[in-house]
Amino acid sequence: MLGAHCPGGTCAHRSICNSDSHPGLGIPLRAMTAHSFALPVIIFTTFWGLIGIAGPWFVPKGPNRGVIITMLVATAVCCYLFWLIAILAQLNPLFGPQLKNETIWYVHFLWE
Amino acid sequence: MGSMFRSEEVVLVQLFLPTAAAYACVSQLGELGLVEFRDLNASVSAFQRRFVVDVRRCEELEKTFAFLQEEVRRAGLTLPLPEAGLPAPLPRDLLRIQEETDRLAQELRDVRGNQQALRAQLHQLQLHSAVLGQGHGPPLAASHTDGPLERSPLLQSPGGPHQDLRVNFVAGAVEPHKAAALERLLWRACRGFLIASFREVEPLEDPVTGEPATWMTFLISYWGEQIGQKIRKITDCFHCHVFPFVEQEEARRAALQQLQQQSQELQEVLGETERFLSQVLGRVQRLLPPWQVQIRKMKAVYLALNQCSVSTTHKCLIAEAWCATRDLPTLHQALQGSSSEAGVSAVVHRIPCRDMPPTLIRTNRFTASFQGIVDAYGVGRYQEVNPAPYTIITFPFLFAVMFGDVGHGLLMFLFALAMVLAENRPAVKTAQNEIWRTFFGGRYLLLLMGLFSVYTGFIYNECFSCATAVFPSGWSVAAMANQSGWSDAFLAQQPLLSLDPNVTGVFLGPYPFGIDPVWSLAVNHLSFLNSFKMKMSVILGVTHMTFGVVLGVFNHMHFGQWHRLLLETLPELVFLLGLFGYLVFLVAYKWLRVTAASAASAPSILIHFINMFLFSSSPTNRPLFSGQEMVQPTLVVLALAMVPVLLLGTPLFLHREHRRCHSRRRQQPDEDTAGLLDLPDASLASQGSDEEKAGCPGDREEAEFVLSEVFMHQAIHTIEFCLGCISNTASYLRLWALSLAHAQLSQVLWAMVMRAGLSLGGEMGVAAVVLVPVFAAFAVMTVAILLVMEGLSAFLHALRLHWVEFQNKFYSGTGYKLSPFTFAVEDE
Repeated sequence: MLGAHCPGGTCAHRSICNSDSHPGLGIPLRAMTAHSFALPVIIFTTFWGLIGIAGPWFVPKGPNRGVIITMLVATAVCCYLFWLIAILAQLNPLFGPQLKNETIWYVHFLWE
Repeated sequence: MGSMFRSEEVVLVQLFLPTAAAYACVSQLGELGLVEFRDLNASVSAFQRRFVVDVRRCEELEKTFAFLQEEVRRAGLTLPLPEAGLPAPLPRDLLRIQEETDRLAQELRDVRGNQQALRAQLHQLQLHSAVLGQGHGPPLAASHTDGPLERSPLLQSPGGPHQDLRVNFVAGAVEPHKAAALERLLWRACRGFLIASFREVEPLEDPVTGEPATWMTFLISYWGEQIGQKIRKITDCFHCHVFPFVEQEEARRAALQQLQQQSQELQEVLGETERFLSQVLGRVQRLLPPWQVQIRKMKAVYLALNQCSVSTTHKCLIAEAWCATRDLPTLHQALQGSSSEAGVSAVVHRIPCRDMPPTLIRTNRFTASFQGIVDAYGVGRYQEVNPAPYTIITFPFLFAVMFGDVGHGLLMFLFALAMVLAENRPAVKTAQNEIWRTFFGGRYLLLLMGLFSVYTGFIYNECFSCATAVFPSGWSVAAMANQSGWSDAFLAQQPLLSLDPNVTGVFLGPYPFGIDPVWSLAVNHLSFLNSFKMKMSVILGVTHMTFGVVLGVFNHMHFGQWHRLLLETLPELVFLLGLFGYLVFLVAYKWLRVTAASAASAPSILIHFINMFLFSSSPTNRPLFSGQEMVQPTLVVLALAMVPVLLLGTPLFLHREHRRCHSRRRQQPDEDTAGLLDLPDASLASQGSDEEKAGCPGDREEAEFVLSEVFMHQAIHTIEFCLGCISNTASYLRLWALSLAHAQLSQVLWAMVMRAGLSLGGEMGVAAVVLVPVFAAFAVMTVAILLVMEGLSAFLHALRLHWVEFQNKFYSGTGYKLSPFTFAVEDE
């Protein structure tokens, strides 16, 4: 199992631990990536910023220009805010998921 | 900004239409659909108006048209649609149309009458021949003379004069349901001195209804004068058709032949009549539709002309109409064009107006549905900020927050896409089903709602209630298992175990897009999701409401009420943000700063918030940030201090302004022009707010400034705002409630139906066959419960949030729409 491969604790601590294949079953292990917080924030802020702030400059002139600009800005604000709330709520969890023992067995061997 | 931001400028114009060209001008205006006429003859009854005769003639013509249309429909034909672009006919054409219509109607009536009469005659002939025909059946003379001898011993009747045993006959036809009764009555009344035989004939066409009706023919043979009279009376009573019946067979055959000849001739005549009828109907089909359009337009023009007043010289009609400023050049041109044909010229000029103009917001087919849901609450006052352009995005977004599921959102999006792509097909456009038309009218709305639902579904990580692990989960079970020494034996004993974020390596960071998929496996997922969704609802709610208050700024600026910026908007913002903005700050601060390490002693935002209002503190609840004990009371005091500002600020300011104007007016009593500088300001201001009846000078007839009314209005506004802040923020929690309901329903459906079906044991073949009805049940319930019911529910709640919580911060909705005089038939 994974515990045998990386003796207790060393590879679980916020590091990237890649192994090519599981010793026993021969299936490739998913990389245990630590999720950074800064990278998604930068990516999504840039993405919605492009849509909401840069987008309006490229809307062609016409009778509907005002409406389209309003739509772009509102979409960017709403979607960005919603995503931000979701990620901030999970940034510092105060408690973890409570799993059934069957789930623990299954996840232990399948996801990791 | 685009023209949807606020109503277009609409002005009152006065039209001088010379009588010679009035009809043509108004007809042209009707084609263009630019102006809304004001009724200048409101005090005059409909029967005393100038053009009442013409209107009445048009109405009579329309009655005749209705008759013609009914005849066409009865013949089973349809009227073709008229071609577009038919102008209203000239008044002198009305006479010609009237004559032709009357002639057509008369012809039709005559032909119909003839046809009816001929058919009745034919029916009689057919009955007669049927009656005569049946007489060939049973042999007559012999059996009939034998029969009565056997049946009745009373043949040697007491009456001497009845020596003649000659048998007479009565033949006729009777309706089948009366036949039995007739037979019984005959038997009882005549005591066996007759023999009646009834026979059914094949169905003949009934002349009145045109449907095949069966008749029964009877042949009664009797002897005796009195019996004969009785029989005739009985048959009369039963409304039978009685025909003369000759005993000799040759005579009968000759009569039958004659009858058949007659009926053949009659049928020919009938055929000719019907051919003529169809000719007439063909002409009606051709001529009626354009006439109908033309007369409708003519009537509309006369009704519009009735609203104009006559000038003192009786040479021209004066009309007052609302017209958009942008359309004024077109209006000029149209009037010039129509009136120059008659050699005169019509004049148009703007006049100032005290009344509030109607609101005109031009929409295209995309924005029309969003403007429609805003107008359903109330059409905006003239030139106030229109919430529709923001509603285009926020309404589908709030819907999606309550509906978030990738699978359901995708289905909704595809359905709407199908409708949008098929929107130009004539079959779709002319469908009559109410429910379909409702859905079709909101297709762009559904499109956006579906699209946003897919997005929020990804954030909630729900696709038909199943989570997808697009990125690897941020929670590591292995780390927890290793660190806590979860052996297999230990796991077998403990049914439930928690992952502790404090243990190193268990929590690897927040999931980059949405909710971590591990939560869908957790037993306590609702604890986490509830906390997340409640906080999300409050944040979205406070943001939405603040946006509403900020939109009010644009109203104040446009109507020149700068004092309201300082005396209303600022206190409102301080109140809202000082209390609920602070709550949002607390939520965000706790999310960012309180880590799992201090989870056991984590401060409770709820307790802090309650204590803030009670000016107390709980010793067990540690402060979130240093200085919190100072900040909170300060904010509460500041917010409470804003209440009297909101309550008294505007009324006192207006009172002071009014007094200043009064004193100024008293000093310069004969300078009317002094008021002209303030006039545009005051008239704009008076259009903008109800309570500012204090016009400044120049408006002698301006309503007086009633201080108590203004105070009352402001008090209501203050109470509504302050209490509303609290209740409206709580109202946004429906975002949490409905999304929870949707998630739970969808999970139940999945677990009980689909998962049960998928986890059936047995061989592949059996499981596959069983899956078909299981999936059918799943699909039907998904569409019926989750898409239709939950969709309607979320739609309703999102609508309520917009109408009440958002719009009552800035929108009054007490205006009326510009409904131009147009010939286009409304399809609404």
